[in-house]
Amino acid sequence: MLDPLATKLEHYMDLLGKRQQLVSANIANADTPGYKTKDIDFQFEFMSMLQGGAPNVIEAPGLAVKNDGNNVVLERESRLLAENALRFNLASNLLRGGIRSVRSAIQEGK
Amino acid sequence: MAFSIPHIGSATAIEAPQLDSGSKKAAGFGAVLQDAMGKVGEFNHAASKSAESFLSGEGDDLHKTIMATQRADLAMELFLQVRNKVVQAYQEVMRMQV
Amino acid sequence: MSLLSALSVSASGLSAQRSRAELLVENLANAETTRTPEGGPYRRKDAIFSSAPQGSPFSAEFQREMGAYSNGVEVSEIFEDAREPEKRFLPGHPDADPSGYVAFPRSNPAEDMVDLMAASRGYHANVSAMSAVKDMIQKSIDLMR
Repeated sequence: MLDPLATKLEHYMDLLGKRQQLVSANIANADTPGYKTKDIDFQFEFMSMLQGGAPNVIEAPGLAVKNDGNNVVLERESRLLAENALRFNLASNLLRGGIRSVRSAIQEGK
Repeated sequence: MAFSIPHIGSATAIEAPQLDSGSKKAAGFGAVLQDAMGKVGEFNHAASKSAESFLSGEGDDLHKTIMATQRADLAMELFLQVRNKVVQAYQEVMRMQV
Repeated sequence: MSLLSALSVSASGLSAQRSRAELLVENLANAETTRTPEGGPYRRKDAIFSSAPQGSPFSAEFQREMGAYSNGVEVSEIFEDAREPEKRFLPGHPDADPSGYVAFPRSNPAEDMVDLMAASRGYHANVSAMSAVKDMIQKSIDLMR
């Protein structure tokens, strides 16, 4: 009844959640020797609309490697942390609004 | 918001009651209610499964479980409203003096 | 389960950075310690970080799908400085050897201070991550309102 937009929003939130998990792992491993920054190819995963199961984890390209083999850049991770949270916020607000709209529509018919 | 509500169309298309086809109308209403009830059952089942999988720690994210629950709730609400309307219409038909 | 597991990951980061900071503080405090219970001068300690999958008490099949998502961090080893201690000529010192040399720790306070600041920054980053994820989980729950 809420579809198709709701399913897309759910999928979007799902991918954002998974991306945020990877950001958390990157931040935790910011000083781990040899650790390479992990990410998902967000655009691709969203467009392919394959739900269920985990998206492919890739190594983030183009990051400078420090002497101990670690390539985590805290500034990048902080930016992604904020961005993912904001997008998630927006998507969840849209969904909530949609649910309220449908509920109103149902109530109006009384 | 581009949310669509497909089921409302079929269930609320209640025509003016006609004297001779009173019983036929009743059967029509019944079928519509059965169908809607089936859909509600499906949503409820999906919601329960999702909640179970969340509790056992595996599977879907929290928001998936919540969305499944919300869909089930909305389907139930819609069904109840439709049922009320249908029952009202049926009662009117039955009240008609033959 | 997905987002909740990120909290464990951040918690492991907090724990690791704190251990690292504690060792650095110990190094700084003992930069001039010539006598230890084990004998000899203090030896610098370094925390060695390595990735560690974070298990969750709620899920039996947690590791199956999650793989890379659940990589937290742990202090896998505390590396003690094995180099020869630094010898300074101080004949009057109570810990002087027969030739008048005292063994001092090979310390580098400037480097340790910089490391301590890095550990603090890392700690704060993990706090931010935990906070952001907690908010996202709360937003999900708010969908029910």
